[in-house]
Amino acid sequence: MEEVHAMIGRVTRCSIRGFVGAVRLPEPDLPSFGAFCKAEAQQGHSQVIGLIYDISIEDDEFARQMATAESLSPEQFSDHQYNRQVPVEFSALAIGYQRDDQFHYNLPPQPPLTLAPIRALTPAERMAFTQRLDFIPLILSAPNLPVDDLLTAALRQAAQDRSGGERRRFLLQAGRECARLLDRDLSRLHVVVRGLAE
Amino acid sequence: MSLNLPQVLSQMQDMGRTAASRVEQLAIKLPEAVETFRRVSLMKPKHIQARIAHAGNRWPGAVPTQEPLDLLVSPPTLPDQLKVIGADGSQIYPDRHAPAFYFMINIGSIIIAHGSGKPPQTNSRPWIYYQDEDLYDQNDGAITNAVVDGWRDVAEMGELARLTDCCPGEPTLALLDNGLLLWLALQVQDSKHRTMDRILRAYFDHLDRIHQAGAALAGFVDRPRSTNVLALLHLANLPLEVINQETLRANPYRGLTDRMLFAQLLSPGQRSSRFTHASPVNRDFQASGHEVQFFYLNSGEEGQIVRVEIPCWVAEQPELLNWVHAGILEQCRSTGGFPYALIRAHELALISYAERRNLDQMLQRTWLNHGLLPRLSQKSRTKKWIGQRRRHRL
Repeated sequence: MEEVHAMIGRVTRCSIRGFVGAVRLPEPDLPSFGAFCKAEAQQGHSQVIGLIYDISIEDDEFARQMATAESLSPEQFSDHQYNRQVPVEFSALAIGYQRDDQFHYNLPPQPPLTLAPIRALTPAERMAFTQRLDFIPLILSAPNLPVDDLLTAALRQAAQDRSGGERRRFLLQAGRECARLLDRDLSRLHVVVRGLAE
Repeated sequence: MSLNLPQVLSQMQDMGRTAASRVEQLAIKLPEAVETFRRVSLMKPKHIQARIAHAGNRWPGAVPTQEPLDLLVSPPTLPDQLKVIGADGSQIYPDRHAPAFYFMINIGSIIIAHGSGKPPQTNSRPWIYYQDEDLYDQNDGAITNAVVDGWRDVAEMGELARLTDCCPGEPTLALLDNGLLLWLALQVQDSKHRTMDRILRAYFDHLDRIHQAGAALAGFVDRPRSTNVLALLHLANLPLEVINQETLRANPYRGLTDRMLFAQLLSPGQRSSRFTHASPVNRDFQASGHEVQFFYLNSGEEGQIVRVEIPCWVAEQPELLNWVHAGILEQCRSTGGFPYALIRAHELALISYAERRNLDQMLQRTWLNHGLLPRLSQKSRTKKWIGQRRRHRL
């Protein structure tokens, strides 16, 4: 059976380095930290692969007032959670792109366009993309991001798509690649490897 | 910079002094008004009615109902299940300087099924008015902002009627963020009377539908500045033989409002006695079976006094009146005294500045697609020249 791509939002702003998407809360498949996603670019000829590194929900004065109210009714509570047009905003770091069924492990030639649908990668796509670990340098080189936690979350997710011995082999291979890239920063390497081992 | 702030400052200081002095004067008048209220409450109703009859058709006071004047009603029990519907509207007025002459009304509404725990249903429904019959009256005069307001009031009531139709047989409270009387009707000139008739007819049709649906209806007026009850106190205090337009105008409670009076009388959750509007417009409402009554309500813990207007068919049914009283209090519980449903309806109705800009762009594109050149007036274009200075940055 063909795996279904769950749409998790639409692009609101973007650059070559990544994109930001928005989604309203009742969406069934909410994005999560470290999740792999993709957004259409180049008029559908390519898909930018992204890793979600931040999720934020904006507030306003009304939300703050209601948060401090002593007696919120269940209907008001669910109105704020499901109805009010306060989108969940998530940011994704570009870690490669897919064109002509080939994965490329560098920055995409063009960013996706505004309102391009953002979809979660299926387990099969995650498996295929993470066959090579060439996306790790793009994560480690991203400035001002929680890159160690992001890398750990992404690798653990990719490992979960694999079973038994294959999972163990993937984690060992990923650990070696991290050790190679972080050989001058042992404390960070320790954090990443410990995260993979948990 | 065109506003001369130093010049404003001296005027502002005078304004502050005047406000402080006014507060001092009102602090003296208010206990007198409360005392008069207690005294008038002891008068026989027929003596009060005789004075009202003497006051004439244009007397702007409050007429007591069968309820005692000094009645204070404690909060009734809220039904386990109550649908609360709120509706509010916003508008874009016609602008002769814009590329197109049109107006827009946007109605926001919400249905909260109290006691269900479910998320409320929300709606936002826009209408653009651009046909000649929408924009010009019978004398070919262009529509005024006041008439647009009238059509907005009709659309708000229409939305409440549409939504109450969806809740047949269920306890339902329909709330409007305003009084129920169309004050526009008092202000129109003779040349606009046909437009006013159309507005009133449509409004009454919607009121009929809400009545037939068995729902309770209430108009919620926050921080009312009305003085109808104070006018009644002044009138009742006058000897019958001296009542005339001159003595009626010499009201000793000028500056006070009914809200200040009832802040002294109502505890949290309590409502006042019901009164009837003594205005010519209400006679039209009465003729259509929708005479408007009102009461004051303490809707919060900090002396939040609001005015609630209801049609006579709500006033006469204790169950519907209780839904209004208890339903509004429930709605105000977590918001400091203003109904949650109306806050959300306003939010859903509001046309923001960014949305207005998008709408203008959409309109310009539509014009171009039809081979028309969207042109602002020269005045409007010159306004865009100013007020947008840019700073040189290296």
